[in-house]
Amino acid sequence: MRTWRQIGLAALAVTTLSGPLQAADIVIGIRSEPSSIDPYFHNLGPNNAMLGHIFDRLNDWTPKMDKMFGRAASSWKAINDTTWEFKLKKGIKFHDGSDLTADDVLFSYDRAANYTGGNSSFRTYTKGKTLKKIDDYTIHIMTEKPYPLMPNDTTTVMIMSSEAKGTGGKNKGISAKDFNNGTAAIGSGPYKFVEWKKGDRIVLEKFDGYKGPVAQPWDKITFKFIKSEPARVAALMAGDVDAIDNVPTSDVERLKKNPKISLSSGVSNRVIYLHMDQFRDSSPFVTTKDGKPMNKNPLKNPKVRKALSMMINRKAIVERVMEGIAIPAGQLLPEGFFGRSGKMQAEKFDPKGAKKLLKEAGWGDGFGLTIHGPNDRYINDAKICEAIGQMLSAQGIPTKVVTMPKNVFFKRASKGAEGGLPEFSFVLVGWGSGTGEPSSPLKSLLATHDKSKGMGASNRGRHSDPRVNKVLNEALATVDDSKRGALLAKATEIAIGENTGIIPLHYQVNTWATRKGLKFDPRADERTTGYDYTPVK
Amino acid sequence: MTTAENNMESEEKGYEGVQTPLRRFLSDFCEAKLAVVGFFTILAIALVAIMAPFIAPTDPYDLATVSVLDSRLAPGEAMMNGTTAHLGTDGAGRDMVSAMIYGLRISLGVGIGSGLIAMLIGISFGLLSAYAGGKIDSIFMRIVDIQLSFPAILVALVLLVTLGKGVDKTIIALVVVQWAYYARTIRGTALVERRREYIESAVCLGLSKNRIMFRHLLPNCLAPMIVVGTMQIAHAISLEATLSFLGLGMPQTEPSLGRLISNGFEYILSGKYWISVYPGIALLVTIVSINLVGDRLRDVLNPRLQK
Repeated sequence: MRTWRQIGLAALAVTTLSGPLQAADIVIGIRSEPSSIDPYFHNLGPNNAMLGHIFDRLNDWTPKMDKMFGRAASSWKAINDTTWEFKLKKGIKFHDGSDLTADDVLFSYDRAANYTGGNSSFRTYTKGKTLKKIDDYTIHIMTEKPYPLMPNDTTTVMIMSSEAKGTGGKNKGISAKDFNNGTAAIGSGPYKFVEWKKGDRIVLEKFDGYKGPVAQPWDKITFKFIKSEPARVAALMAGDVDAIDNVPTSDVERLKKNPKISLSSGVSNRVIYLHMDQFRDSSPFVTTKDGKPMNKNPLKNPKVRKALSMMINRKAIVERVMEGIAIPAGQLLPEGFFGRSGKMQAEKFDPKGAKKLLKEAGWGDGFGLTIHGPNDRYINDAKICEAIGQMLSAQGIPTKVVTMPKNVFFKRASKGAEGGLPEFSFVLVGWGSGTGEPSSPLKSLLATHDKSKGMGASNRGRHSDPRVNKVLNEALATVDDSKRGALLAKATEIAIGENTGIIPLHYQVNTWATRKGLKFDPRADERTTGYDYTPVK
Repeated sequence: MTTAENNMESEEKGYEGVQTPLRRFLSDFCEAKLAVVGFFTILAIALVAIMAPFIAPTDPYDLATVSVLDSRLAPGEAMMNGTTAHLGTDGAGRDMVSAMIYGLRISLGVGIGSGLIAMLIGISFGLLSAYAGGKIDSIFMRIVDIQLSFPAILVALVLLVTLGKGVDKTIIALVVVQWAYYARTIRGTALVERRREYIESAVCLGLSKNRIMFRHLLPNCLAPMIVVGTMQIAHAISLEATLSFLGLGMPQTEPSLGRLISNGFEYILSGKYWISVYPGIALLVTIVSINLVGDRLRDVLNPRLQK
């Protein structure tokens, strides 16, 4: 008996003692695995979130995206209309012990701008900018026109070592593979890359030489990839992981009642919206009511687009599909962000008004549509597509619903048709404004598609209105904040309010869950960052 | 009892008198009560599936009448258009009763359809293989070997990822997965039958190869085919459900049983059990019934087990 009691006591001691010892490790279950460790391979949410641990950027955002702070940059100012000066912090070390200097920044921006073979590039942030080294810790960035958003743009491109260990000197020839196996994954961020088991986990370790502004609450951060929604929730409840992201909307109510779990949620900078084909006279997925091809494209008519927007019951989508966890949208960014229009509200559900508008436009009898969307990218994306299909079908626009995995969807939606044109006619997508104001979605989604100018890069409906381009260009070159804000709002009012160039549906609200004893500040940029988790009593 | 084969068969088995083979078969089959229950269950399910448009309270595949405002109603609640959702509604607002009836229609249709096509292809290849022998036999059987060495679900997954969604594509995938089982089975039986005297006599009579293969050989190989066919149909139905559960197979707006289960899987932890559980039960009952009948058929049609 005595021995058993001793064993029991010993076991108890071990378990209670090992608790605090492991407290500096955290395991986070995340939905989306990054596609690479190479910082310029893919400008994608999961990549940017993960790589922000390993690499510094010149600037970064606080979780709410209301304040910018310098990570590698100590200060920045415009020294004339077209030149910005960035001072680098002294004493920043890369994980291999070398110093971060202007050379590394120049190298990184150059690699980002000339990257080939990636999935979607950072070129919109590097286009038209020339970097010049003044001294080891001073950089000038020159633009062709006045460019007040320069600091915002520097929150995107990550800085890698120009002489990363194991890559042989000036590492021009390194590829994404060298990053993915860790040899080139040398940054100056708060956490070091340890390993990436594809499909399973990424492990990061605290970098002791880090002295920057980002907190280092954990010695080791493990990201486990759990794509299935119920499995992720189950892993948290079973204690396999300490925290999860993308809590499915259907589980929020139940988790709220669980005393062992705490939730945090916040509005994101992401708007979910619909693109409509406005560049083809005969659009492949706009048909007659019985599904035959047409040589007329009703979506070219702004009245028809407006009518479609009025047929969508956003309140029903938010309440029934999103279970109340989303905000109906009328423009590109939710309340609280810079450069919004004060006038624009979410379109009211008005089927009668929509029918009237359709009649005025000469399409009173309706037409057939197919909505295409991803089924593993945004919260409830496939279900939203289906709900829209229902709403349009009920109003005399028979709509088919086709959803597919994101890696197939985005390729086809952007350049699936002949000549690299968008393949679909009516697509559901989302856009998170990485710069925290509407110029990035206006440039990418609503400006006239022009590769050489870096405009309309993701304009999958090819909306085009010279007035929008003019106001937007004026805004981009306006240094005065309030004037620029007003111009951006005006561009939004024309592009969405007057033209219905896209149909905004709702702003995503993201929910994170942790076990009791942990806290996570919801991030407006939707990133699940290990360093933003803090232990609480 | 006029043809030579039949005479020979009945002599061999020592049966004479009023009992026709069909009657004997029926009385043997009915000895197992469970199999009879299974048979009538399948019959009922098939009837419901065929009559779906007349029986189902709503059309779950007509997007214009389904509304997301009706989503996730509990069993017994009333939908907006007044009909009562006896088994609740799913996440998109489809009445579960209707969705299950239509889902069964797809599941049975795909299962039986692909089973029959696969059987036709399998029989042709298997018979030819057994009758011709030699090189043709080895080539066909190596193809079958290769086919059988891949897990069925894997082959079907790859095919559907490349082909896309839809009933036709699901059937194609399932046929590709299944034909080899039929080919292998019928070849085995046919090899035994081929050495029997009645085939030799037919060859001596100078009958054409086709006639011997399809009029003499085939009818005597059919018993195992019926058994394998029944089992394979149950297998095809569950395979289709698995594929739909994984999000392949049927389009999102036309869920089959597997898709309904996977849709509901998301809600099951939040207490909305009906979206997954009822289609699951329907699938279970269908497959168990078919298997019961199949098992009994195997016993009845197996000469070694006969008294």
